Amino acid sequence: MLRTLIRRELLDNLMTFRFAAVLLITLLLVVVNTVVLIQDYEQRLESYNEAVKMHDAQLREAKTYSTMYLFIDRAPNPMSIFNVGLDKRLGNLVGIWHGFVPTLWDAGKHGIDNPFIAFFSSIDIVFIFEVVLSLMGLIFAYDAIAGEREHGTLRLVLAQPIRRGQILLAKYISAMLCLLVPLILSLIFSLLVLINSIPLSASDFLRIAGIVFTSFGYLSLFYLMGLLISVMTRRTSTALMLAMFVWGFLILVYPNLIRAMVNPGGNIEARVNTVNNQVQQIVDEYERERIKFLESEGIAEEGSRFHEVLGLYTQASVDEANMMSYIENLTDISDIPTDFERYVPVAKRYFDFVEPLTIRATERVWLVRKQALDDIFVRQATMDRILLRLSPVGIYDGATQAWSGTDLQGLRDFFEAGRRYRKVLIDYFYAKDAFASRKWFVADKGAVDWSTFPEFVFERSDASTNAVRALPDMFVLIISNMVLFMCIVLIFTRTDV
Amino acid sequence: MIWHITKREIYDNLNSLRFALTTVLLMALMLTNAFVYLHEHPKRTQTYHNATTKAVKELEERGANLYRLATEGPGLLYKAHSFLRFCAEGDEAYLPTRVSGENYFSDIANVRPIWRLTYPQETPNLYNIRPDFTTLDWSFIVGYVLSFVAILFTFDSISRERERGTLRLTLANPIPRHVVLIGKFLGAFISINIPFVIAVLMNLLLISTSDTVQLNTESWGRIGIMYGITILYICIFITMGILVSTAVRESGVSLVVLLLIWVSFVVFMPNTLASIGSRMSVSMPYMEFWSERNRLDRETRKAYEDKYGDSQTSPSVHVVADYLKSDAEQNERFTAKYLNQQITQGKRARSITRISPTAIVQHLFESFAGTGLERHLQFIENAKRYARGYRDFVIDTDRSDPESLHAIGVPDGMSQKPVSPEAIPKFKDTLSLYRDFDAAAMDLLLLVLFLVMLLAGSFLAFVRVDV
Repeated sequence: MLRTLIRRELLDNLMTFRFAAVLLITLLLVVVNTVVLIQDYEQRLESYNEAVKMHDAQLREAKTYSTMYLFIDRAPNPMSIFNVGLDKRLGNLVGIWHGFVPTLWDAGKHGIDNPFIAFFSSIDIVFIFEVVLSLMGLIFAYDAIAGEREHGTLRLVLAQPIRRGQILLAKYISAMLCLLVPLILSLIFSLLVLINSIPLSASDFLRIAGIVFTSFGYLSLFYLMGLLISVMTRRTSTALMLAMFVWGFLILVYPNLIRAMVNPGGNIEARVNTVNNQVQQIVDEYERERIKFLESEGIAEEGSRFHEVLGLYTQASVDEANMMSYIENLTDISDIPTDFERYVPVAKRYFDFVEPLTIRATERVWLVRKQALDDIFVRQATMDRILLRLSPVGIYDGATQAWSGTDLQGLRDFFEAGRRYRKVLIDYFYAKDAFASRKWFVADKGAVDWSTFPEFVFERSDASTNAVRALPDMFVLIISNMVLFMCIVLIFTRTDV
Repeated sequence: MIWHITKREIYDNLNSLRFALTTVLLMALMLTNAFVYLHEHPKRTQTYHNATTKAVKELEERGANLYRLATEGPGLLYKAHSFLRFCAEGDEAYLPTRVSGENYFSDIANVRPIWRLTYPQETPNLYNIRPDFTTLDWSFIVGYVLSFVAILFTFDSISRERERGTLRLTLANPIPRHVVLIGKFLGAFISINIPFVIAVLMNLLLISTSDTVQLNTESWGRIGIMYGITILYICIFITMGILVSTAVRESGVSLVVLLLIWVSFVVFMPNTLASIGSRMSVSMPYMEFWSERNRLDRETRKAYEDKYGDSQTSPSVHVVADYLKSDAEQNERFTAKYLNQQITQGKRARSITRISPTAIVQHLFESFAGTGLERHLQFIENAKRYARGYRDFVIDTDRSDPESLHAIGVPDGMSQKPVSPEAIPKFKDTLSLYRDFDAAAMDLLLLVLFLVMLLAGSFLAFVRVDV
């Protein structure tokens, strides 16, 4: 019996004009935008490759350890074609040295975009689904029950020995089968365009499968919302109006209303000030110890000459806006002065003392800063995300971003890797005894050999990590689907036809 | 007779669910818009005020010495904010807020280069980890929400009457068809305008009564023009709704067609077309610009050094001044060239989006609200004009001193007389309405063209349709 019902519904749906129109428009939008997105991705990849080449050359140019400039670049994520998330927006270039612990808020960008076109956001595939699939779900659902009730066919069907739940199930299954066609078909088309220009790995296909599954849940949620409206209303025109306004509110209006929310972090300015004071204290302490060392070496009065000979430039500065502090001890000895040799042993001892001190101070600053950055920036973003989840759009967007690895966590992975790389750099310095070596500040007896220096590699987290990150949103999505379906069954069984 | 039909339509609509929902939705949106604006505007004004005061103070400190004025330049020039930013935010959030007339160059061979105009690149969203938001400005409320509402009010205007058979009844009376059409049109138009006008009035009431914003006569004029544009825009969607409703038998199908048109034209087209359009004229990458500019600088310097670097006597002050001038000029020319490339790319991207009426309305709102690209170009022009004036001021002041050698940019070659801080020209960014009209004329024309085409289409369709 269920099968007969499903077949009837399926035929009803498939032969309609709305099905053909929706299919056509989805295909068109997805394919056109995929082409645009691929071009955009390739452009970003090119600028990434250039930046990597340039930064590598910069590193090799350094003759002494202390004049090294080390930058790491973030490659564009090919999954950003599906959901661009924060991939394009946030920094993709960060400096690595022992006097500073890098975070997302210290990153820059290789290849600054043209500000006059930054306003036009590129439309990713998930956004198309977000708008079109939800509309589709509602359009297919609004007259499912109300229409039959108006036409009187619902009485006829219920006169048969069928349970009401079965009717709903048949309607749900057949509509979902229909709605899956544009979803799957457009994805296949876009993948056909994709794989010719962007190499996708096996785990990327797993991620795409995750996105498809999430899209299915999203679609189903909107269909069920439409069905709920259809069950509750007597007339199709009322159902339609309600459905359209629900759509307009959830998709167009609500996500943008959140912008008006205040920051839950409280008084940010005060917080920034306390952190800056703390950081300043650490930096002051560092300065005191450095000067104490100079005094103990007996070059405190002579310090200026010492600095002059070594071309030493010490800066421990605090950047107020970002609660950032960096400590630099740069020397630049291109032409070696006559009384240089006299200072070499002292200089070796000086750097051997001061650079580990720098590392310790930097790490203390990092502990203070990490907490504050999380409190000020991440808490607000998390709050926004939670509020956004009240609309299915937020859940869908969050889950697909997690699958794509373009969410905040995915991007923080990169900076985490950058911090690990800084440790590698420090270990390398210790292993080479770089701080106490002559090559730290002068290259007159041979330049530093960078050939054994470990390269930076960043692998995107594997698909299982993505799945774990997407899990909460997926869970919410599935639960809300189930709750909605139960509500519909309850209401439908209790209404009279 | 028209009025009769219109009245019936309006009564029908006033009692409907969609009217109630529209009223609530529009009011909520407009109130949010006003609250967000009143929250953010004072902060913006304060930041602008602080920045300009600081820049002027620094400029006046330099004023005691003409050499310093000539070398250090006027400092940072800031863009003034429009009071009407709640109408259209445009791409304000992405655009730079200043032009730099600073001197951050280091000495080359003991010669200090002189200042030049540069256009700082900002990436304002670089640290923003919040989700993507669209600003709920008027252009969004009109462009997205109101057009959506217009479709919902008209998709069944003809098809439902035909389904029910009431259309036959109406047409059985001695009424010409176009009168029915106009009646329907006016009915929908007025019923959409009622909630919109109420919402707009509430919004304006909130904004104009707050003491942080002063709307002057010009601002009210601009708001009036924007209301006119809104009317044109709603008419387009109402006509489109009636057209589709006439051409399609079932109202369900009519809605699907309209929604798909709406989604394509309103949601997708502006962004997708802009992405395609921006590829038609690509500006050089920033890295390339940077290295090319440095190369040019080095070349100018090398030419100078080849000529005078080896000679035992130091070159005369005039030779140094000439070098400094040509160095600054060619650097500024190249920077301006890069900026122009970027602007051309931005303009290309915008011009191709004009296929979508929503994008046109967005442009128009930006033009009249004094935000967005057109306004930014105006600001850059103001800054350039000011920079010319500033240079002339330095030269004229120097010329008026008979003891000076008139070698601008050389410490010993310039007038040593102090300059009074009041005499130095200060930068003031202004908005002008006349320019906005020029920029907007094309867009307005396109919008009218859209409307006329659709009106003609729906008229023909309705006259020829069989009931």
